[in-house]
Amino acid sequence: MNIEFGPELESFRQEVAAFLDTAPTPAIREAGRKTTSVFAPFEQAIAWQKILNAKGWAAPAWPKEYGGTGWSVEQRYIFAEECRRRQLPPLLPNCLQMVGPMLIDLGTEEQKRKHLPLILSGDVYWTQGYSEPNAGSDLASLQCAAVSDGDDYIINGSKIWTTLAHHSNRMFMLVRTDKTGKKQEGITFLLLERTDYPGMDIRPIIGLDGFPEQCEVFFDNVRVPKSGRVGAENDGWSVAKHLLKHERGGSAASPALLHNIARIRDAAKTTLSPFGGALADDPVFQRDLGELEADILSYRHFEQLAISGHPMVRDAAYPSMNKTMNSELSQRVSIMMTRVSGVETVPLQLEALTVGSNVAPLGTDFDLIAMPYYLNTRATSIYAGTNEVQRDLIARTVLAANR
Amino acid sequence: MDFLFTEEQTMLRDSVARYLDKTYDFDARQALLRSEAPYSKAAWSQFAELGVLALPFPEDVGGLGGSVTDLVPVAEVFGAHLTVEPWAFALTLAGGALTAAGNHAAARKHLADLVSGTRIGAFAYDEHRGIAAPAQIAMTATPSGDGFVLNGEKRLVFGAAEAGFMVVAARAAGQAGDAQGLVLLLVDPRAAGITMTPFRTQDGRSAAHVRFDKVGVAGADVLAKDAHDLIAKLISDAILVLAAEAVGAMTALLRITGAYATTRKQFGVAIGTFQTVAHRLADMKIAHAKAYASLMYSTALAEAGRLTARDVSVLKAQVGKMGRSIAEAAVQTHGGVGMTDELSVGHYLKRVLAFEAMFGAPDYHFRKIGSSAA
Repeated sequence: MNIEFGPELESFRQEVAAFLDTAPTPAIREAGRKTTSVFAPFEQAIAWQKILNAKGWAAPAWPKEYGGTGWSVEQRYIFAEECRRRQLPPLLPNCLQMVGPMLIDLGTEEQKRKHLPLILSGDVYWTQGYSEPNAGSDLASLQCAAVSDGDDYIINGSKIWTTLAHHSNRMFMLVRTDKTGKKQEGITFLLLERTDYPGMDIRPIIGLDGFPEQCEVFFDNVRVPKSGRVGAENDGWSVAKHLLKHERGGSAASPALLHNIARIRDAAKTTLSPFGGALADDPVFQRDLGELEADILSYRHFEQLAISGHPMVRDAAYPSMNKTMNSELSQRVSIMMTRVSGVETVPLQLEALTVGSNVAPLGTDFDLIAMPYYLNTRATSIYAGTNEVQRDLIARTVLAANR
Repeated sequence: MDFLFTEEQTMLRDSVARYLDKTYDFDARQALLRSEAPYSKAAWSQFAELGVLALPFPEDVGGLGGSVTDLVPVAEVFGAHLTVEPWAFALTLAGGALTAAGNHAAARKHLADLVSGTRIGAFAYDEHRGIAAPAQIAMTATPSGDGFVLNGEKRLVFGAAEAGFMVVAARAAGQAGDAQGLVLLLVDPRAAGITMTPFRTQDGRSAAHVRFDKVGVAGADVLAKDAHDLIAKLISDAILVLAAEAVGAMTALLRITGAYATTRKQFGVAIGTFQTVAHRLADMKIAHAKAYASLMYSTALAEAGRLTARDVSVLKAQVGKMGRSIAEAAVQTHGGVGMTDELSVGHYLKRVLAFEAMFGAPDYHFRKIGSSAA
């Protein structure tokens, strides 16, 4: 056992802190304060990515040869911690954490050369075309079809829950190229280099929090080049499964959760308890906050074991356990935030939530985001495979251990 | 960073596991519980033989010069076998108090006996309805000459009736709630004025409530004054080792319940194919992963000398809460047969519940965490 961070990591932390204290613009900081989702406000998140990229820090987890930092896992964790501590907007995950790492692992040399630099620089943004109206948790039953036509595919069908598609200029997607065999075997993974192909129609969906984060995308005889295919035709399921691992595991999520606990604790100091005095001094509140924080700390310990390379990360259930813990803790944090804000959560404040708006919040910044954050966070147990699907996968490992 | 045990730690764990696999299976444990014996003397000698009893003690009393964190990997194995011997209490609490007394003649002698396995030690700490923190100790040690006179009652003293020596935590000044005024005293369990009410615990251990009626303690038997921080340290050590036992029990429960859900058939299929059952298994595994991670992380912190009171609260509360949820889920998954004394699952339930109740229940620790920023 060895938990020492060592003095060189402390000086690294100071170097990171010095940069993070000065580099973000006021708009980027405002976006961080008004982030109510896994997806920070688009424009400022991209602006922050460009600043980090100029410093070489946009993709800490990527291999150095593709523009990563070469940092150790401990350094990456410290970086994530310092970013959350300053409440900076998280970088958008689709490119840097999903399609980028997937291309590094499975893309052709040409695909890597073409796409990776643009992903890093923030000049392109990729939306994920996986789910369909009739293929959610049962993703492999997807029907959006691509028919071969010379050097192209012709796509017909639709995709849904394509996050930020209305801001995106690229799309990675799964299409059905064979309807005859097992449903997993007729799927192909495609990279689309435009989102404005003739016949492509993107329609934003207003979410529970009042904002268009998700979209629906319709394909009517959309012709795309075959050069965008990753892996072999009909082998897209293995590409998708590989990418899912990046989506579900290997993150540093506990710093954000712990930061929110600190915000809750602060907010409770100035919130009146209905029994008199400050809510922060209410024994029931203290107990419940402590229970939530303790559970987050156990998750943090789980994350620390994972980044240390503990054998548990080789358990097939690891990505699903990570996703389930993280998503459900986020939801409990969001509930605790609304509990502190109480009746202040009731006013609808869409304008005040918009970055750069001149409409002031009706209460505190904390009150402003509590309800939208709660509403948006309902999605965490639904996306990336519902938590019911994750529990199926976890249970399979408990049962398989005995077969 | 790494959270792995060393080769030596793993070797000792494996040899303890081999011994217990051979001699301490569930049936052997059931037979032991049905006998009059408070615990297995044969097992105790073997623990001494294997070096477990010597592990955390200094070499000049026959110890191996290790630390409490070295006990964690073996404690997991003890927990998986639901051993009833009072080793965790004797080593971390009674033995820890003697070690901290340093060059104290009587302490040295008892420590050597503890290491060799010739006698066990008990630690009298708990009082009415449990003590979550040392400052709440109320039982009085009235100063008398250079020693003290003990009056009052200590409860749930593990191994008290079998102990060759007893360390008593008592209050020489102030009142319950004060950190000041606590002492640790070495007492002969057979001294005049001591009355014991021995009993078996729900989870199969031997313990006693101990009454003290004008029990004199000589100055030479005072182990520590201003003992609050020392007692807190001993409790923290005990929590770490008992949490490791509980996690070992939880690991066993997950394995046993997974196996049962795979083989038990109802409606013509294995019950693990029902999603409600499968998801309960998934929740057990998630709870186990959290408890295990907190145990490993806390062990690494303890080894680095950086385990704070807040960290201990997290470990105690989380392992207690997760242990209960896993064990209750295990009983439910086993159905009717899970309700019987014949099956191990109920015994595991009782072991983790005992852990949950001791040294402050989860509610206490959660409130401690919630009322103080990190």
